[in-house]
Amino acid sequence: MKDGVKFLEEGALEGLLRRLSERARVWVPVEATPGVVLWRPWREGEKVRLDRQGTEPPKHVLFPRSETLLRIYEKEELKIEEVMPQGPSVIFGARPCDVRGFEVFDQVFGEEDPYYSVRRRETTILTVLCTEPERTCFCTTVGGGPLEEKGSDVTLLWIEGGWLAQAVTERGEEVLRDEAFVEASREQIEKGEQRKEAVKLDPVVDLSGIPEKFLESFTSDFWRRVTAKCISCGACTFLCPTCYCFNITDERTPEGAERLRSWDACMFYHYTLEASGHNPRPTKAERYRNRIGHKFSYHPSNYGTYGCTGCGRCIKYCPVGMDVREILRELKEYAEG
Amino acid sequence: MIDRLREAVREKLQELDLVIGYGEGYDPLHATPVFIQKPEEVDRLIWNPLCVHNLATYLYELRGKRVGVVVKGCDSRSVLQLLNEGLIKREEIYIFGIPCDGVIDLRKVAQKVDIYRVKEVSWQKDAFTAKTDRGEVSLGLEEVLQDKCRGCPYPTPVIHDFLAKDPVKPKGEGEGLLEQVSELEELSPQERLAYWRKELERCIRCYACRNACPLCVCQDFCAAEARDPHWIPLRDRVKEKWMWQMLHVLHLAGRCTGCGECERACPMGIPLLRIRAKVNKELKELFDYEAGVKEGVRPPLLTYQVSEPKIEERQW
Amino acid sequence: MSRNPFLPYIATVKEVIEETPNIKTLRVVIDDPSEREAFRFEPGQVAQLSVFGVGEATFVINSPPTRTEYLQFSVMKVGEVTTKIHELRPGDKVGVRGPLGNWFPYEGMKGKDILFIGGGIGMAPLRTLLLFMLDNRSDYGHITLLYGARSPRDLCYKEELKEWEGREDIELVLTVDREFPGWEGRVGLVPNVLKELAPSPEGKVAITCGPPIMIRFTLQALAELGFADDQIVTTLERRMKCGIGLCGRCNIGGRYVCKDGPVFTLAQLKELPPEL
Repeated sequence: MKDGVKFLEEGALEGLLRRLSERARVWVPVEATPGVVLWRPWREGEKVRLDRQGTEPPKHVLFPRSETLLRIYEKEELKIEEVMPQGPSVIFGARPCDVRGFEVFDQVFGEEDPYYSVRRRETTILTVLCTEPERTCFCTTVGGGPLEEKGSDVTLLWIEGGWLAQAVTERGEEVLRDEAFVEASREQIEKGEQRKEAVKLDPVVDLSGIPEKFLESFTSDFWRRVTAKCISCGACTFLCPTCYCFNITDERTPEGAERLRSWDACMFYHYTLEASGHNPRPTKAERYRNRIGHKFSYHPSNYGTYGCTGCGRCIKYCPVGMDVREILRELKEYAEG
Repeated sequence: MIDRLREAVREKLQELDLVIGYGEGYDPLHATPVFIQKPEEVDRLIWNPLCVHNLATYLYELRGKRVGVVVKGCDSRSVLQLLNEGLIKREEIYIFGIPCDGVIDLRKVAQKVDIYRVKEVSWQKDAFTAKTDRGEVSLGLEEVLQDKCRGCPYPTPVIHDFLAKDPVKPKGEGEGLLEQVSELEELSPQERLAYWRKELERCIRCYACRNACPLCVCQDFCAAEARDPHWIPLRDRVKEKWMWQMLHVLHLAGRCTGCGECERACPMGIPLLRIRAKVNKELKELFDYEAGVKEGVRPPLLTYQVSEPKIEERQW
Repeated sequence: MSRNPFLPYIATVKEVIEETPNIKTLRVVIDDPSEREAFRFEPGQVAQLSVFGVGEATFVINSPPTRTEYLQFSVMKVGEVTTKIHELRPGDKVGVRGPLGNWFPYEGMKGKDILFIGGGIGMAPLRTLLLFMLDNRSDYGHITLLYGARSPRDLCYKEELKEWEGREDIELVLTVDREFPGWEGRVGLVPNVLKELAPSPEGKVAITCGPPIMIRFTLQALAELGFADDQIVTTLERRMKCGIGLCGRCNIGGRYVCKDGPVFTLAQLKELPPEL
């Protein structure tokens, strides 16, 4: 699968992005406002931030915040039109934790969701490997890693002056045929190896047995205690690379209606609120318990991998500093005690 | 000072179901709310300029319980506003007040240091040093304080049962927020439109702003998410995000105490505080009113007078 | 390429029947003949009924697969979509997305005696299975239906109840919560009447559906009467959106009510976290 190691010089990046944009929509991390890096379609002159994890993952490229599934025309005869996604995309500058997020989407949406699978098939991912984890990173705790290449088409590793590039898939090999990529020199490859060897990120919790331990804690007061400071917003959910919960709603249009699929969050009160008024998860304790249960018990039991990539965004962007690592540690202690 | 606070909490804890205060967060640059129920937990309480959270936000959901809460000056205004609106009961809360010299805006710190790679923080007088693998950065507190703290008119809690130290004199008349507002007012209407279009485009409708707000007690039944009437479609366009902010700002008019938690909670760095500060300024001028500073005062938008002293209707 | 699971079939409302002050029954027919022909379902499966421009809501397919002149849905008016459904008239267009979910494990019930226990609108899924069994009568043993509602007015399928009362091959016990002028049947809450009837669990399957509180006490009563967990079948309700186990909403533990349910035996429910 791997051709030789290539090198992408920093100065050649713009030209590469321009050429990629001729055949696909290229999504890049951009500093939209100081300190906030978001995934936007690349435009000429756009300054790309490949040096850190984005504030948001590139989730919305494959799973938009709100998309039209169906258009309903009611003027004369009732007609329903499927609104299928169009055109290939390139995600340029993802991190391994972002790519692990798509793995979860693949497991759940797979081929069943035509909108997701069309987009997925037509998307190429170039991933920047991590050489300097943040203090909130914990990908190795959940089965991932800063140098993980699974799920990417091309991996990029920063060494001074540019990136070492390697193809992981056939699609990646095609990308590397672009003139921006030149043969890497022996020194460059060695520097890359040194960089990789220096990366250190130990797991922070031993999660073995967590799916069962979670179920043991289900009815306890544990959840009321650990969620005391949660404010039940949707920040953690919306910024999480693996969260895929959605809502389906109809909105009126001049011609009739549109059926939208939009992001939703299990953290909101309305999420499980039934029309009768009954709510199986009436407080944040039940809702957060479901969140942890889903990611660390139900999903692993159903699919074999955690529903969490250890990116740390839920910790960084939680307004009150809920720390999932801490909660998992306490859960283990509670179950063992 | 922290010892005085801890002692007071330890003493009062016997009569209370819990005390909400600040504790150490997940890294040296973050504090976090802590919920103390047992005497041995009291030593978790800390106080430093990283104690940014408005703990009054938990009071409404804890009604019916006897709750102690640690508040700064701005937070105490939220408590008073909740009391004025009859949303919480005075006899159910015990207010540990901390006269405050200002808290840090981590967004400002982030421009000088990588805030997610800080290993250690040490405090000096009016400054602090942050250490990462790449070296040390020292920052004067003044350059990284939140805008709301500059010229803070109420640094000492306006309502309290206990003060952890001597009262602090007002720093000014709210210059920090007034400056934010004049930045807005200097823009022409078209410029303002463009400004908010650009800022609100980042909004993801996570409702962190709403849920962090102490006055948003109806967050579980929010008009913004209602289907009947369906005020805001779920489409992902600036139009809808703006409608959400307008709805929020107007529902808070006369209730917002300018604590800025909305802006701090926003993961997208949208400058939410200044539009609320603008509305607060208008209300001050129109009705000579500020939320949460005087006991027993009714918000002007919840009162009716046949003729208002500052609204010259007959001239219209 | 298989059909888009979010795409509903267009159907026309043929008949609207007022069952009770807040429950209406809709009979719809899928417009396209080949789609109508291909719509195969089992008793207990549900569908998402769309009112275009308003939204979708989940209902059990109330008619059995043995009677396919129309698809029937019984709808209680509780929210936005159901209110609009109650305004529909014959000739109006709706969307039908389905069939979704699992179905009553009727194969395993063959040869057994069946005890249906229903409350209010909970009669809807029971009707489907009951009619299916009546259409395959010789496969099943003795059939009893215990059905109760708040008042005589709140009983659904009043015409059919009269019909079933007259049949020899089904035992019908009706009850209402308290005395009503003109009501000559039993009086009492369904779980209490169940205890009075004291059916033996021997060779029986109990199928129950109704408001959460009724189900809770009925399950208790059945346990007291000696019914084993795998002899008791129920069908659950949840807020549903996608109906295909994708949107993440209707789960109980690692199982989705829309995909792994809505039909569960009590034994299966006890393996799941208690999150009803």
